[in-house]
Amino acid sequence: MNSVTNDINTTTTTNSKSGQDLGLYFLERSRLGSAQGPCDMDEDEEAPTELNTINSSGGFLVVSPDKLSVKYTNVNLHGHDVGVVQANKQAPVKRLVYYFEIFVKDAGTKGQIAIGFTSESFKMRRQPGWEANSCGYHGDDGLLYRGQGKGEPFGPTYTSGDIVGGGINYATQEFFFTKNGAVVGKVNKDMKGPLFPTIAVHSQNEEVLVNFGQKPFAFDLKDFEAQERMKQQMTIEKISLPTNVSHGIVRSYLLHYGYEDTLNSFDMASKSTVPPIYIAQENGSCEQEDIMYALSQRKTLRQLIRNGEIDAALSKLGDWYPQIVQDDKSATCFLLHCQKFIELVRAGALEEAVKYGRMQLAKFFELPEFEDLVKDCVALLAYQQPQESLVGYLLEESQREVVADMVNAMILSTNPNLKDSNSCLHSYLERLLRQLTACCLERRSLNDDQGEAFHLKRVLNSGKKAKC
Amino acid sequence: MSLFWIVIRQLAEIEEMAVSKKVITREEWEKKLNDVKIRKEDMNKLVMNFLVTEGYVDAAEKFRLESGTEPDIDLATITDRMAVKKAVQCGNVEDAIEKVNDLNPEILDTNPQLFFHLQQQRLIELIRNGKVEEALEFAQEELAPRGEENQSFLEELERTVALLAFEDVSNCPVGELLDVSQRLKTASEVNAAILTSQSHEKDPKLPSLLKMLIWAQNQLDEKAAYPRINDLSTAMLEDPPI
Repeated sequence: MNSVTNDINTTTTTNSKSGQDLGLYFLERSRLGSAQGPCDMDEDEEAPTELNTINSSGGFLVVSPDKLSVKYTNVNLHGHDVGVVQANKQAPVKRLVYYFEIFVKDAGTKGQIAIGFTSESFKMRRQPGWEANSCGYHGDDGLLYRGQGKGEPFGPTYTSGDIVGGGINYATQEFFFTKNGAVVGKVNKDMKGPLFPTIAVHSQNEEVLVNFGQKPFAFDLKDFEAQERMKQQMTIEKISLPTNVSHGIVRSYLLHYGYEDTLNSFDMASKSTVPPIYIAQENGSCEQEDIMYALSQRKTLRQLIRNGEIDAALSKLGDWYPQIVQDDKSATCFLLHCQKFIELVRAGALEEAVKYGRMQLAKFFELPEFEDLVKDCVALLAYQQPQESLVGYLLEESQREVVADMVNAMILSTNPNLKDSNSCLHSYLERLLRQLTACCLERRSLNDDQGEAFHLKRVLNSGKKAKC
Repeated sequence: MSLFWIVIRQLAEIEEMAVSKKVITREEWEKKLNDVKIRKEDMNKLVMNFLVTEGYVDAAEKFRLESGTEPDIDLATITDRMAVKKAVQCGNVEDAIEKVNDLNPEILDTNPQLFFHLQQQRLIELIRNGKVEEALEFAQEELAPRGEENQSFLEELERTVALLAFEDVSNCPVGELLDVSQRLKTASEVNAAILTSQSHEKDPKLPSLLKMLIWAQNQLDEKAAYPRINDLSTAMLEDPPI
């Protein structure tokens, strides 16, 4: 018995608390525009830029001052005086493909040049491929060596004037090598842990220039990546979907955000297609009906906010849902007041903005979760052309959208039939896209961080590239 | 190594993999989901792309107004494209051909297979309407010459003409040609060709993303147990089986 009462208590507290949480969620979203944007999580990985002069077999080779070329100055006597040099950084892994190239300026007396990948602890006096945990494509015999004493038939030999490339394909877990812009072969990547791009020279006067991407490659890397993605896409496209599932997801999206006019047109058109699509009837789940809730009110408020008519929105909200705007220090009221302030700045009514700010925003200054946005709002006043300033994001259309989405979510949360307060925040579409992104990220992190993440933006832009 | 030991080793490996599968609780997973930020603007674009590609021109226009999302194609061209599609769906193939040529004569010129399928559909409609003489004339004059260029066209033509051999077409082996699905097939072929001619992708992006979700979940299943979305239409997160 006791536990049941407890449960009820917890539910009520979470409900009253969740209103505030919803507002805070949108407060966070409103600040997204101020930073660089949340989507580029791969870009922070460092990539090789030059050769590592510390960890190299000094004495046998000379690295040029720009650290981008290497020359064998000795006379080689045995297999332990190879001139080997690694890149200054390990090959980055959070991408589809890593790739670098060398240009053989001089093949020297014997052309014993190699390109490949080695582990950090690699013995720096041996050819890549001769020792365990290394892999190398050798110029004098065109063989591929990977840890065994013997090389395996792989590609053509290479010599003075040739451009040779080495790459790691993280999707297929393969090394691949190129010669003068064309792939010569690929081989399973059976090494784990950080890998360093490595080059080796081993006969007098051999000289090699390395290109870590600071200059255009001879090999069309972009095209290679596009083809790799295409291969994956082909497998994915073979998966079949339940009939009309996309249609249903679009419909629920329109419902969720209160795009009522669009929804009506969409439903009308769906009925007249051949064959007609009846989504609502087919899976009229309770949740679908729940987001019908207050549809036209949500539409009206969205329109007002999108037009910058915040006063009208506030007064309607006060009439229809007084509980939402009751607490004047809530995140919801705060965001609406901020938006009103922003609209005054946009209209050039600066004096009025100052007055409004003193009256409505000043009280939020001492509250830590609101402080950043208040400061940004007030900063708008400092600029003659605020839209070009650092806080210019506030004047963008997307800021209105955040406020409109918040009001929409707050109204949805007043629905007495609501089961899960999370459902006010995220449309089905967003939930699916979040799941997709999370799955891709999790899979990558369980795969030693190798491979590229999922970016909605890239998918959205993918068709446009084909045009040019 | 004997076969026995190989089998034992493989079994051990399989077991090890099963044991090492990471278990992610609902709470942990929801935290990960919350770290994912999907931009509203991008979702709007995705929805607009669906409306435009699937030809919901009125809805696309309304959505432009309601959400401020700009369509990635001139909306007027959708109306024309949908008129063509509709004409084929209703069996007015001649009308459809004329409309396609008004839109861009190159579409049919550079796409002999599409043109053949439209003509074939025209023949099917003549047969459906019982215009036997007209159908025969049309087949001989318009379709047969094209069949000479291409073996598969010829086979298709013979299959279609076979409709004339049966009194009760509803029960004959080639009866499926008279089905609505044949019209829909032809209609979607024209639709795709028009989109391609407008340098637009012929399929909306949303279904591909949904497929990608199914694929990504399957891939992750190999390494971890985590809350899945099994029913795309409800987007409900279901607890991992433990």
